[in-house]
Amino acid sequence: MQIQLSRHADAHSSKTPPAKAPVKIAIRGLDFHYGRFHALKNVSLDIGEREVTAFIGPSGCGKSTLLRTMNRMYSLYPGQRASGEVLFNGGNVLDADTNLNLLRARIGMVFQKPTPFPMSIRDNVAFGVRLYENLSARAMDERVEWALTKAALWDEAKDKLSQSGMALSGGQQQRLCIARAVAVQPDVLLLDEPTSALDPISTAKIEELITELKRDYTIAIVTHNMQQAARVSDHTAYMYLGEVVEFGATDALFFRPARKETEDYITGRFG
Amino acid sequence: MNDHTSRQFDVEMEAIRSGVLTMGGLVERQLARAIGALEQEEDSALLDAVGADEREINQFQVDIDQQCAQIIARRQPAAVDLRMILTVSKVVNDLERIGDEVKKIAYKSAQARGNDALRRVRYYDVVRAARHAQKMLRMALDAIARLDAASAAEIVDLDDEIDAAFSAIMRQLISYMMEDARTITPALEIIFIAKSIERIGDHAKNIAEAVVQVVKGKDVRHASADQIRAQIAGP
Repeated sequence: MQIQLSRHADAHSSKTPPAKAPVKIAIRGLDFHYGRFHALKNVSLDIGEREVTAFIGPSGCGKSTLLRTMNRMYSLYPGQRASGEVLFNGGNVLDADTNLNLLRARIGMVFQKPTPFPMSIRDNVAFGVRLYENLSARAMDERVEWALTKAALWDEAKDKLSQSGMALSGGQQQRLCIARAVAVQPDVLLLDEPTSALDPISTAKIEELITELKRDYTIAIVTHNMQQAARVSDHTAYMYLGEVVEFGATDALFFRPARKETEDYITGRFG
Repeated sequence: MNDHTSRQFDVEMEAIRSGVLTMGGLVERQLARAIGALEQEEDSALLDAVGADEREINQFQVDIDQQCAQIIARRQPAAVDLRMILTVSKVVNDLERIGDEVKKIAYKSAQARGNDALRRVRYYDVVRAARHAQKMLRMALDAIARLDAASAAEIVDLDDEIDAAFSAIMRQLISYMMEDARTITPALEIIFIAKSIERIGDHAKNIAEAVVQVVKGKDVRHASADQIRAQIAGP
């Protein structure tokens, strides 16, 4: 597929009802295997543009796997294969000819543990930008400030841009990673348990940030913290054993879930 | 409904559920006593008992509300648990208000004397309306105990009847008051009693609607009985 560098949404026709926003990523009949293990079973859902879509479910339900198919993160590992469609900007992400560097510039990812590079805060943010764009020093400084501001880290980091990113606190490191993902101006941010290693105040800051970032970006978040999904997301998918059990508006899913399995999980009656 | 993984959570939820049922039982007993006071001319022991019931009911309201707040603070309940807690919190308010109305009925009945015509209204029409309210309360409490949404529409139907009974009592009393000014004071007392009975019906209806909220997750306040039936029949 050809990944477009433009940020405008593609008009996919929606098969699944919940998203009222234009569809940013349309997943259709997605299957995923780790070797012989069938990790995702015929998953179909729409990720709405400039919305937060949360994936919840017990460990091993496939939610992280699903997130990792959206930017082909699984391609790094042998024995893992996906089939079906992940439609994004006019093409199927799963196609063999997808340019993975461009894809990951459009669909950025932040992981559970903060992963700052062993370099200065400024270079951490500029690193990805240099791969895709040739900016003047001044334009790069502006981009770094813009990204750090977007990630709500500018005020804390502006006086120590030359210091190592590793010297920041855990919560700051995670916001640095978000700044790094935002700096290349992607369409979509994938957040895989972004606060599970953070204290409550840092978590609150990241959640506040997610709400801010939603104005410009489409966000998909995997979280073990159900209250977090309830707080930050517009739509929530409950997954179990590789299937999407229920996908709907977060307001409805946490107050009046349609499926008993969902109710058992979110009320702590599971297993 | 399966048990929570946390047994303590189950214990806490059961505590508010059984608390609201115990409180409901107290209110039923208090209402039965007030009807007794209506049917008799004078019984100060009954009045004392109704007053004591009311204080106990008030304490239940405060305690159960506190328990609900604690569960919300500690457990961040969702879905059916959250709906149950919201409903319990509403229901204890309605039960407490019923307790207030019952107390008024008992105390006013000690003052509502009058001529034979008024006695007939009091002993026949008002007591009948009160028994009607008693039935609504019992049905509403049964609906909570069994988490049964189906009876909600029926309770709303009964509330329409009680409203009609109140209007009928009003019309009768107005005609007596126009004929004979000496009946005005006792007639007004009876009107207050009838109004309290009508309010008990309203609160029982609120309780029934709150049960629909728990069971179906649907807000049926301000809906007609037929609309409620349609909502209950849905998914």
